Amino acid sequence: MSEKHPAGHGVAGAAVLAADEVVWLLVALVGSTIFRKTTLFNRLTGLRQKVANYPGVTVEKYVGLVRLPDGRDLDLVDLPGVHGFSARTLDERVTKDVLEGRVEGLRSPDAIVLIVDATRLENQLMLVEPVLELELPTLLVLNMADELAERGGTVDDAALAERLGVRIVRTSARTGEGVDGVVRYLAEVQPHAPGERPVERHLSNVRKGTPLPVVDAFAARRRLVKQVVEAADFVPPGPSPMTERLDSVFLHRFWGPLLFLGVVLLVFQSIFTWAVPLMDGIDWLIVTSGDWLAATLPPGWFRSLLVDGVWAGVGSVVIFLPQILILFLFLGILEDSGYMARAAVIADRSMYRVGLQGRAFLPLLSGYACAVPAILAARTIDDERDRLATIFVTPFMTCSARLPVYALLIAAFIPDEPLLGPFVGQRAGVMLGLYGLGIVAAVSTAWVLKRTLLRAKPTSFLMELPPYRIPSPRTLALRLLDRSRIFLRRAGRIIFAVAIVLWTLTQFPRTEVGPPEIEESALGRIGHVIEPVIEPLGFDWRIGVGLVTSLAAREVIVGTLGTIYGVETADEESVALQEILRRDLTTGSAIGLLVFFAFALQCMSTVAVMRRETAGWKWPALQFGVMLCLGYLGAFAAYRIFG
Amino acid sequence: MQALPVVGDAVTPEPDLRLGDIPLRQEVELVSIDLPADLAEPLLERGVLPGCRICPVRSSPGGDPIVSIDGSLLALRRETAACLCVRLLSSLRDAG
Repeated sequence: MSEKHPAGHGVAGAAVLAADEVVWLLVALVGSTIFRKTTLFNRLTGLRQKVANYPGVTVEKYVGLVRLPDGRDLDLVDLPGVHGFSARTLDERVTKDVLEGRVEGLRSPDAIVLIVDATRLENQLMLVEPVLELELPTLLVLNMADELAERGGTVDDAALAERLGVRIVRTSARTGEGVDGVVRYLAEVQPHAPGERPVERHLSNVRKGTPLPVVDAFAARRRLVKQVVEAADFVPPGPSPMTERLDSVFLHRFWGPLLFLGVVLLVFQSIFTWAVPLMDGIDWLIVTSGDWLAATLPPGWFRSLLVDGVWAGVGSVVIFLPQILILFLFLGILEDSGYMARAAVIADRSMYRVGLQGRAFLPLLSGYACAVPAILAARTIDDERDRLATIFVTPFMTCSARLPVYALLIAAFIPDEPLLGPFVGQRAGVMLGLYGLGIVAAVSTAWVLKRTLLRAKPTSFLMELPPYRIPSPRTLALRLLDRSRIFLRRAGRIIFAVAIVLWTLTQFPRTEVGPPEIEESALGRIGHVIEPVIEPLGFDWRIGVGLVTSLAAREVIVGTLGTIYGVETADEESVALQEILRRDLTTGSAIGLLVFFAFALQCMSTVAVMRRETAGWKWPALQFGVMLCLGYLGAFAAYRIFG
Repeated sequence: MQALPVVGDAVTPEPDLRLGDIPLRQEVELVSIDLPADLAEPLLERGVLPGCRICPVRSSPGGDPIVSIDGSLLALRRETAACLCVRLLSSLRDAG
């Protein structure tokens, strides 16, 4: 980021600027949460987007390039949607920091594009007022102007523009009409004086220095807004008949919860069955290309590192891409259509009982694919304690990285016999049991947390219910593309590094004839060191090694055990690996291992994202410790019970 | 931030009427928010201010109210609705 923005603050920045006369303008896109600004952002920037992580803050930011008619480029930053500027949620804090120009490495914005929902103008102007007080050049975009007209509402743009002192453009979320007006405005944006930190800006709900108590300050602003909408002859639209009809089904006392369950089951079904052919395809690609690499390269340590280490390691993660994409496709549809807000309302009562809230439903559901995006999804939770409790228990959800481990051990140890009638076999029963264990652990941990560390008076839960809409395929596609980029980059970095470290540990200390026997290698010795600790669980040093390597990512244990037992191309369907495992583990210790994986936080990516999201090591350390203890005790109990 | 209860009109001759007691489809005016300031602020941000018109339009399956305010729908918990003091518009003949 910083190298792209030579016009930083300070004298040095000004000097650079004068030298090459390049100014990257930065324009911020601001709007409220209920309304998806993303559609406009996508139309303006197309595919030329990048996700950046701001230093110090934890939020992934979307910066896109807008090509102006005169050929210049301009940076547009899509800020998280906000309800106000009290900075209660992480999202609100970031939006506030960017607008106030306090984010290191990011130019303070030269202009603001403020996008509001024209159908709820009066409500939205409450958000507009504080932004206008920043006194930056601002364009006000009246989105959904077409819907306003359809539902019988009107507003006089010219009068509104004059009253607020800003330019106004109307757009339609559906057709993209009016986007050219935004581009015309962007073309006229002038850079603010370089190097100069413009006026110390403060963004808050309540005007700085006001002696009024908060409710009166709001009321004062409200009176101002009332005058503005009256001056603009704003007639609010009638209720949306479509939304009323759909709500009478989706929020029905009986059908509502039933449809909710149906949606959850559909999402599950899609993750676990529809993704399989795609995953098999990716698996085939990885194996074939790995074989080709092995055949092409000359034998030696480099081939070993590349094929056995890096290729297999990265491949073991890339294989989850279809599941994650399908999950995000569903979540995207649910969110953009407006159903997600209803789902949160339906879930709220039961979540509230265990100390969470309705907004926790989305992160917890996402947790079944992968805890990392799920933890990020919890940012919309406006109560900090609720958010902490939610992200603390999210890794208990059975993420897809546990599936290869479950699949291998269940296939090896659980007989394929019926359990309840012909449809539910013992294997399916164990699998369901492991899912149940995760839920029970999550619910009870949340319950305990909200009565101990995160105890608080009950907070309010407020959820705006947007009108139902048909999701835009373009926005959905762009989001999927974006998600896969994030996922692959992370998989690339972490798994790549781990694969190299693991491989290296198996190669040393060298013997006269080459790499050592696995038991004598550095990795094997690590296994022996921890063997006494895991002996009460019925695990030997080999499993110990697997537990250590799977700290990086759970599924790594499958490949590691393959390496240790010398089984080529080990995956969860490998019969050879299953047979060897049956020799070394009893059924009891295998079930113990399953339980261990159901509980323990064997995932570096989750720890890393927890550290970022909680701004410190305290929460990830506590989470890791609690989950490890639960895993150890659970495995011990299972080993005793099942022998 | 002040932690005092937020009180609107000092003169409330009406019996203490809460949003939670209002039947569906009856529009009322918010008189005051009986919550500490930090809990009231999210409500204020969403336009739930003393003087605004609120109309309960639906109950969620869990029995929580969904209200219409400024042309948008807002779901809240019944515990919150019980803290919103309201008055009937029709009884005051100022519904216009």
